[in-house]
Amino acid sequence: MTMEDVATETVGHSRGIVKTRGFGAVTGRTVVWIALLVFGILSVVPMIWLILAPSKTAKQLNDDAPFSFGSFAQYGVAWHNLLSQNNGIILNWMANSVVYTASIVVISCVTAVLAGYALAATSLPFKKVFLIITLIAMIVPPVALVVPLFVEVSAIGLYDNPLSVILTSSFYPFGVFLAYIYFSTSIPTELYEAAKVDGAGEFTMFFRIALPLSRGLFGMLAFFSFSAAWVNYFLPYVLLQSQENFNLSVGLGFLFTSSPALNPLNGAQQSLIGRPEIALASLFLAIPILIVFIASSRLLVRGVLAGAVKS
Amino acid sequence: MFAPYLILLALFGVWPIIQAGLVSIEPTVINPAGGVKNFADVVADVRFVPAALNVVVFLVMYVPAMLIVVSLMSLLLDTVQGRWNLPLRLSYIVPASMTGATAVLIWYFMLEPSLSPYQDALHALGITQGNQIWRQGGLAWIFVAMAFFVGAGNWIVVQYGSLQSISDDVLEAARIDGANAWQIGWRIKLPLIRKYLVYMGILVFAAGLQVFVEPQLISGSVYTGIAKDWSLNQLSYDLAFQSNNLADSAALSLMLLVVCIVAAVVVIFRTDFFEGTGVGKK
Repeated sequence: MTMEDVATETVGHSRGIVKTRGFGAVTGRTVVWIALLVFGILSVVPMIWLILAPSKTAKQLNDDAPFSFGSFAQYGVAWHNLLSQNNGIILNWMANSVVYTASIVVISCVTAVLAGYALAATSLPFKKVFLIITLIAMIVPPVALVVPLFVEVSAIGLYDNPLSVILTSSFYPFGVFLAYIYFSTSIPTELYEAAKVDGAGEFTMFFRIALPLSRGLFGMLAFFSFSAAWVNYFLPYVLLQSQENFNLSVGLGFLFTSSPALNPLNGAQQSLIGRPEIALASLFLAIPILIVFIASSRLLVRGVLAGAVKS
Repeated sequence: MFAPYLILLALFGVWPIIQAGLVSIEPTVINPAGGVKNFADVVADVRFVPAALNVVVFLVMYVPAMLIVVSLMSLLLDTVQGRWNLPLRLSYIVPASMTGATAVLIWYFMLEPSLSPYQDALHALGITQGNQIWRQGGLAWIFVAMAFFVGAGNWIVVQYGSLQSISDDVLEAARIDGANAWQIGWRIKLPLIRKYLVYMGILVFAAGLQVFVEPQLISGSVYTGIAKDWSLNQLSYDLAFQSNNLADSAALSLMLLVVCIVAAVVVIFRTDFFEGTGVGKK
């Protein structure tokens, strides 16, 4: 099983059909279905609630049934109120999120593909050491490095500079590992050897052979890089100070703590930011990632883990 | 080719650890001499033990809950092939899009008895006031629920993928031998994806150890101060940003980091997860 299969495998092949045998088996199937459906419903309920919430006024949100719909016009009102916050700073946050995420995805994927290829197919010294360090860095959660990164970023004068978030988040050991596995399993070594015999250098081999064969790999790398970068909270929260530098995720957290929406004791009482507005801002954060998830669900069919390590 | 990544690795993977190490032994107000005594100072901080206990309680609930539910749900999902499989998987990954601040908002509403879609269930449990849920001492399970909700669905889909890698012949042979669906799941499929589950368990543990966002946001917004310094990472954050004690903050985060690195080394060298990748157990 290779990463190529991971990317191209389609859904719905017909194995694992369990034949129903008698009453016990039928009851068993029913229980399985109930469990699967209940879990599905529990998973979707909050999203449905969140989509409906900004259609209501704060009062309706309080008094009406949780799944009632207010009006489409109310979405506009909530958006208008969001814009009132600090001269439309939410637009800054959205733009920042887009710029930061796009930069991170590009830098992290390009460096990861190059490094994965170098580890898999070139004569790099200390290969094993680099590989082990990469694996360790991939397992240690990024959150563990936040305070050390803050110490470093302040020392080199990048504190409150968007570059600090972009550069630190572009370190992508998991991507390097995926690319390494991809290049060492799904492209036959004979191909590299043949090219070498024909006199191709390492860069020629990379650009003429490896790269054209790695579209599926790029999709996978971009997917994971995007999902981490778009919702990143702790790192930008610590590395950025000025409101206008926040990404949407940190900005939303700021709305939480600075508006009376969730706690009447917080912030300016005359603020227009109430619960519907907060819900709308949350939707802006959640919907792009949901769309990417659904669009990439095909990538996840054959298993990231199984596909990654089985050769 | 390796150089661009190597620069990032050196600058943002290795160097911050070295620098944090240097900062962690700098003099502090309580320890003007500096040195490794800072580490002892952190452990002796009145907030350390309660936060450590909170994190332990959190992990004791969170890691097993993830492992059990994810194994079970991915096995169940694997028995349902055909057109309903994809919609189910898609529904399971929906919550993963609601992380951080969004998750806090959602859970505030889901658990507020006067607003929740689950109000009947909450009332049935005798909960009619928000403060019956949001109280100090009972917060761990809420944070577990929040973290579980965000993470479980994605892992179910991933482990369902692991199950797809089991060869059809193995399952066919078991079926011919008369194994029923339950036996196939428990005796064959589960042992075959064991290493992926172990890997997941360690990643979940390492991430859980660092719990920060949920208590920090709850404490900063909905119920002011309710979960202040609730987790070790929050304590590390407060040491740096409230007490201006960067040395102790760095010391604490290094201690947490060491635990994660040990966990990583265990996965790499003591499990068969990275078998065949050029490193790890042979």
